Amino acid sequence: MDWIALWLSLRLGAFTVLFLLPVGIIAGRFLAYTNFPGKGFAEALVALPLVLPPTVFGYYLLVLFGTASPIGSAWQALSGKPLVFSFEGLLLASLVFNLPFAILPMQRGFESIPRELRDAGASCGMPPWRIFRRVELPLAWPGILTASVLSFAHTLGEFGVVLMVGGNIPGETKTIAVAIYDRVQAFDTASAGRMSAILLLISAVTITLTFALSRQMGRRSG
Amino acid sequence: MSGLKVEVHQEAPIPLAAEFYCAPGEVLALVGPSGSGKTTILRTIAGLYRPRKGRVSVDHEVWLDTDAGIMVPPHRRAAGIVFQSYALFPHMTAIGNVGAALEHLPASHRKKRAAEILQMVNLRGLEDRRPADLSGGQQQRVAVARALARQPKALLLDEPFSAVDSATRERLYQELASMRRRLSMPVVLVTHDLTEALMLADNLCLLHHGRSLQYGRPLDVLERPASVEAARLVGQRNIFSATVVEQRPEFGFTILDWEGHRLETAAAPVFRSGDSVAWLVPPSKVLLHRRDRPSRGTSENPVSGVIAQHILLGDTAVSVLHVDGRDDRRITFQVPAHVAERNRLGVGEKASVSLLASAIHLMKPEPEEQRTLNDRNC
Amino acid sequence: MYQFIPALLHILIRAGRVMPAVFAVTVSAHPAQAGPGNAPLVAAAANVQFALEEIADAFHAETGIRIRLSPGSSGNLSRQIRQGAPYQLFLSADERYVKELAREGLTEGDGVIYSLGRIVIIVPHGSPLKADGTLEDLRAALTGGRLKKFAIANPEHAPYGQRAEQALRHAGLWHGIRPHLVFGENVAQAAQFATSSNAEGGIIAYSLARLPAVSRLGAFALIPAGWHRPLHQRMVLVKGAGPDARRFYEFLQQSPALAVFRKYGFEAPGKPD
Repeated sequence: MDWIALWLSLRLGAFTVLFLLPVGIIAGRFLAYTNFPGKGFAEALVALPLVLPPTVFGYYLLVLFGTASPIGSAWQALSGKPLVFSFEGLLLASLVFNLPFAILPMQRGFESIPRELRDAGASCGMPPWRIFRRVELPLAWPGILTASVLSFAHTLGEFGVVLMVGGNIPGETKTIAVAIYDRVQAFDTASAGRMSAILLLISAVTITLTFALSRQMGRRSG
Repeated sequence: MSGLKVEVHQEAPIPLAAEFYCAPGEVLALVGPSGSGKTTILRTIAGLYRPRKGRVSVDHEVWLDTDAGIMVPPHRRAAGIVFQSYALFPHMTAIGNVGAALEHLPASHRKKRAAEILQMVNLRGLEDRRPADLSGGQQQRVAVARALARQPKALLLDEPFSAVDSATRERLYQELASMRRRLSMPVVLVTHDLTEALMLADNLCLLHHGRSLQYGRPLDVLERPASVEAARLVGQRNIFSATVVEQRPEFGFTILDWEGHRLETAAAPVFRSGDSVAWLVPPSKVLLHRRDRPSRGTSENPVSGVIAQHILLGDTAVSVLHVDGRDDRRITFQVPAHVAERNRLGVGEKASVSLLASAIHLMKPEPEEQRTLNDRNC
Repeated sequence: MYQFIPALLHILIRAGRVMPAVFAVTVSAHPAQAGPGNAPLVAAAANVQFALEEIADAFHAETGIRIRLSPGSSGNLSRQIRQGAPYQLFLSADERYVKELAREGLTEGDGVIYSLGRIVIIVPHGSPLKADGTLEDLRAALTGGRLKKFAIANPEHAPYGQRAEQALRHAGLWHGIRPHLVFGENVAQAAQFATSSNAEGGIIAYSLARLPAVSRLGAFALIPAGWHRPLHQRMVLVKGAGPDARRFYEFLQQSPALAVFRKYGFEAPGKPD
């Protein structure tokens, strides 16, 4: 049982959700409420990671922030080590390929709020930020929750991109998904089985808890 | 002058052209079919829509003036609005919804004041219910309470009675009627229901495709529409074309020639002899020549023909008479059901009616293209 | 009860503005940094990882220094080194990759050959194939239609895959067997495929076949060394390697380590079959 790999995966998932939460809320809300030329294109761009094969994605990420790229070399200059093959590089990749999982459910969540409710808030004297806090957030909450759970679960399971961008470095980029693959390759099926079962359990518990919570909130808002 | 003054003009994306005034304590109805822009105008007053050109002021406070670049955002306008679907916050209780409009008060006062307002709309005891647990009528009252909570300078109602059943609607009409005496603010009511406007409004602004066709007392708009277009909008059925034959302003009447019939109407001096006009007579002002009870009124603009349609609507019988047997000369009239029975009214029966001179209203004729389309008034 | 959650989100959103700072914090707060001070990272060809694990344990017992192992195919690992992956020592299954890196100045010289690689044909229990090192049975199976799937490592970047291809070409079987081939990412995955019930057999590294976990799954036989280019397995220190990695590199060349290598089927370089 590779606890370090498990801890790595959990940290990767948690940080991904932490950083994508504000991004998703802002972008999701913007896409829900604003019309602009090229909006369809922007939405397609957001959804791209959903349809791109992980290897293609990984390839482009390497091009984007590999050591030869501007981003990569800038990072290396600042921190002394390359962005690829590091936890930070993995996190960056995770943020990008989880964008659709974060933004789309939140966008739907905000879209589901009838326009009239926001208008009602304004006519009650609420300035826009108060409408956001008191009307939009509580009602878009199921969408926000779904986005968080999906991003977390997806990160735990991501394999192809992790391997391409992170390599297989224990304690740094060897996530539990990669560790399971590793153990299988080493003919250690017992270990692989144990880790898979734990991963399954964590995912199942997370999703069940979150949807139960979401149902509770749904009951609250009638 | 105090009160609500509104001017809106716009070509696109939604054409608008309306101006009206509503005094404090008065109810102004914005009436028109769907898509006539009435909700857009209401939203303009509330600050939820910004027209290309417009001016909105209440009690000398300017909320919108496109020429001067003034646009007060909705949360800073003291306008209470009741939305068509009530737009109650589903995740808050009734008292929470009302309290949402009272966030300028400290929390302790907020709850007390919200409870007071809910009591004012007869919802005591239901404060802690969520909207989903309230009936349509109760939800509507919460919406009204919330709109009034901020002591607004204008109350705006967007088809507030359309989603309720007729029994509840009757009750709510009475409540609004009694409440508005206590309200000292202009009330603008958007509705597509002319009857509602007749019942509740002091003034009526008739809208079509964003344009204001007429502004005046509801009964005036109904019985003396400014144009054939307005007449059709308010549901007048008996609209015809005729020619002015004689003008006798000194005697107070005008004579028309309608398809060979000589009709005497109340004086309409604006038209000259020889002019083409459009004229209408409300169904309620078409009197049946009763076989059971003949009256002197039979000599006033009599016409006769064959009944082509006869429908019983509750206590009333509505009939369509083909004058001279012609189906392009249809007059709709109504009598109480028992009168219809006693006079043996029915499809195919001959009948004669009198068109009350004082109720015949003259208008400018329709443009030619319009006429061929609409000649068969229906 | 859940009212706090929107407020929490509100805080998180405000916190989001300090995102770059938090990002930087995760960099420095990270426990396992790949710097000279932390456990050195060793890139190892797939077939040698098991021997290395045992040697690394012995190294830790003697010096208290921990080694982190990253197995993979030699081609991929050398590519990653080129991209700046933080490996300090590279054990390749084919010296060609080491020499390329050396030419690019990414290593400390050419390193040393630590072993000679051999390939074997392996067939799982119950396979219609026989473990025949001359590949005659394989030829018969091919013509007789007994062969559906045959696993080798990917010749594009795995040295054992390249040697497997060379041996099959030498036996004149390459074109016939190509449609039946299944490629493993590296020779360990090829071994996976070859010993599963999803293939009738495959060609893998001798060192892998000798592992108890593998050998109990089937039978294997050595393929003549002359049928492919020799597989000189070379290891080299990557430029910038730290003192711990150097010590390990030295350790690998001493007799206790060499004995372990031998145990796992890694012949000393220069010794013929």
